[in-house]
Amino acid sequence: MTGTTSRVRGPGAAPAAGRAGAAVTFTGVTRSYGAVRAVDGLELTIAPGETVALLGRNGAGKSTTVNMLLGLLPPTEGEVRLFGDAPQAAVRAGRVGAMLQDGKPVPRVTVRELVQFVAATYPDPMDVGEALRLAGLGELAGRRIDRLSGGQAQRVRFAVALAGNPELLVLDEPTAALDVEARRDFWSSMRRYARGGRTVLFSTHYLEEADEHADRIVVLDRGRVAADGSGAEIKQRAGSARVSFDLAGAQTGALAGLPGVCAVEIRGDRARLRTTDSDATVRALAGLDLIRGLQVAPASLEDAFLALTTAAPAARPTKETV
Amino acid sequence: MLDYVRLEVRRTLRDKTFAIFGIGMPVVMYLLFTHVGAGSGPAAGEWRVSSMVGLAAYGALGAALGCGTGVAEDKSLGWLRQLRITPLPPAQVVAGRGLTGSVTVLPAIGAVLLVGALVNGIRMAAWQWAALVVLLWLGSVPFTLLGLGNGYRLSSQATGLVNTGCLLLLSIVGGLWFPIEAFPGWLRTLASWTPANRFADLGQSIAQGGAPGPTTVAILAVWLALFGGYAVYAYRRAARTL
Repeated sequence: MTGTTSRVRGPGAAPAAGRAGAAVTFTGVTRSYGAVRAVDGLELTIAPGETVALLGRNGAGKSTTVNMLLGLLPPTEGEVRLFGDAPQAAVRAGRVGAMLQDGKPVPRVTVRELVQFVAATYPDPMDVGEALRLAGLGELAGRRIDRLSGGQAQRVRFAVALAGNPELLVLDEPTAALDVEARRDFWSSMRRYARGGRTVLFSTHYLEEADEHADRIVVLDRGRVAADGSGAEIKQRAGSARVSFDLAGAQTGALAGLPGVCAVEIRGDRARLRTTDSDATVRALAGLDLIRGLQVAPASLEDAFLALTTAAPAARPTKETV
Repeated sequence: MLDYVRLEVRRTLRDKTFAIFGIGMPVVMYLLFTHVGAGSGPAAGEWRVSSMVGLAAYGALGAALGCGTGVAEDKSLGWLRQLRITPLPPAQVVAGRGLTGSVTVLPAIGAVLLVGALVNGIRMAAWQWAALVVLLWLGSVPFTLLGLGNGYRLSSQATGLVNTGCLLLLSIVGGLWFPIEAFPGWLRTLASWTPANRFADLGQSIAQGGAPGPTTVAILAVWLALFGGYAVYAYRRAARTL
């Protein structure tokens, strides 16, 4: 795992006292399905009050991580703790609310009946009207859930997650079925909830969403933490600009060592460098006389995300930044 | 847990299929069986009573097994998974489902008995009616457990088929539709060991003014233990993957 999994901030750096009071800790957690390791030695600590995005591509291990976090799936190795307790104990104590990814609407129940029922199982629930309002379901309270649209049903699942007024809110790809406007409403409600000092963990495969709505982004790649930090730090780590030029037969070995460069990609006779400091990189390239067809372009968020999670390790000679 | 039972009972009663097939079918069958080619005289009068008990038992059986079909549906919807991340303990979810089954057998029992009294003019002592309802209600517990076992163990589609298969087989072999006196000797012997036959016998003995015999109670107790064990086994297996 040379270099590629270095963390901007991580459990290794957290003081022991900080871990004891943590909302979530994963210690050496592995989950295998046969020969496949969906989660592979995961180390993660989330402090109370943090809003954390779990970012990764499909199959990166996000849902497996969420399921272990909720006690729905035991880890093959390692330990998961919520507020210092086993996940199931924290769930029984009503400290956790979650929106699962694969839930389908429960038939023959109205929105209010369902939310009311779930709320009543918690020791200190939110007012049902308030939960419905936060989830944008005010007018749909009396409707049967199996007669709602996909986006509306998703809001019901959000209301169910909120209903118990939990300290830890877990949302597994919460905006998948929502249109643009519903998405915006959803995130503003989520942030309003998080503002009350609650811990929120959501998974997504959009860096943009993670960057905009989380204080901290944990990038998962093949079951491991590939990067961990604020949106700005992640973007920085992935390189903020892309510099490309014609090699004209020049050697490529030294490129990775140039100032600012964090990734090198060679396509035919053209080199593409990802850099955190395009000025320094270009200056160094000029020194090497490698400026034929030189182009400098800002890296998009999607570029940054792809750079952090490229599938094959060989295609990713990523080096430490900062 | 009572909130959970209330929610699930509401969901079951709102199901039109349940109302039509679970409550309507036994009533229609009872009216057919007692009015088409049933003749008259004292034998017909007896048949009206025993068929009423048999079809009330059949209705109860259907609702009890149907509870398991509901579990399989909830499993496939992810609702059982969602329940697992609420503070509600899993044991209460299972028990709540079982209680739901017990509550939803009552409409079918009540409907058939009501038709027996009002349409077919059956007259019995008040204690007999009361005992009939209570015994058919309690006696349906083994079948609720069988249905729950299937629901936890099998896929949603398979549960529907298996529970319908169980319902038909147990009802017919158990003599809930036609009296086992009409069966060949070997089948009659077999039938007397089946749970549905002894379940109906609880009611038949009351309707004849007596009390259920110890053999009937013992055989039902064995089936209760078997189906209960199966339900626990199925739940434990399912809990790993829910």
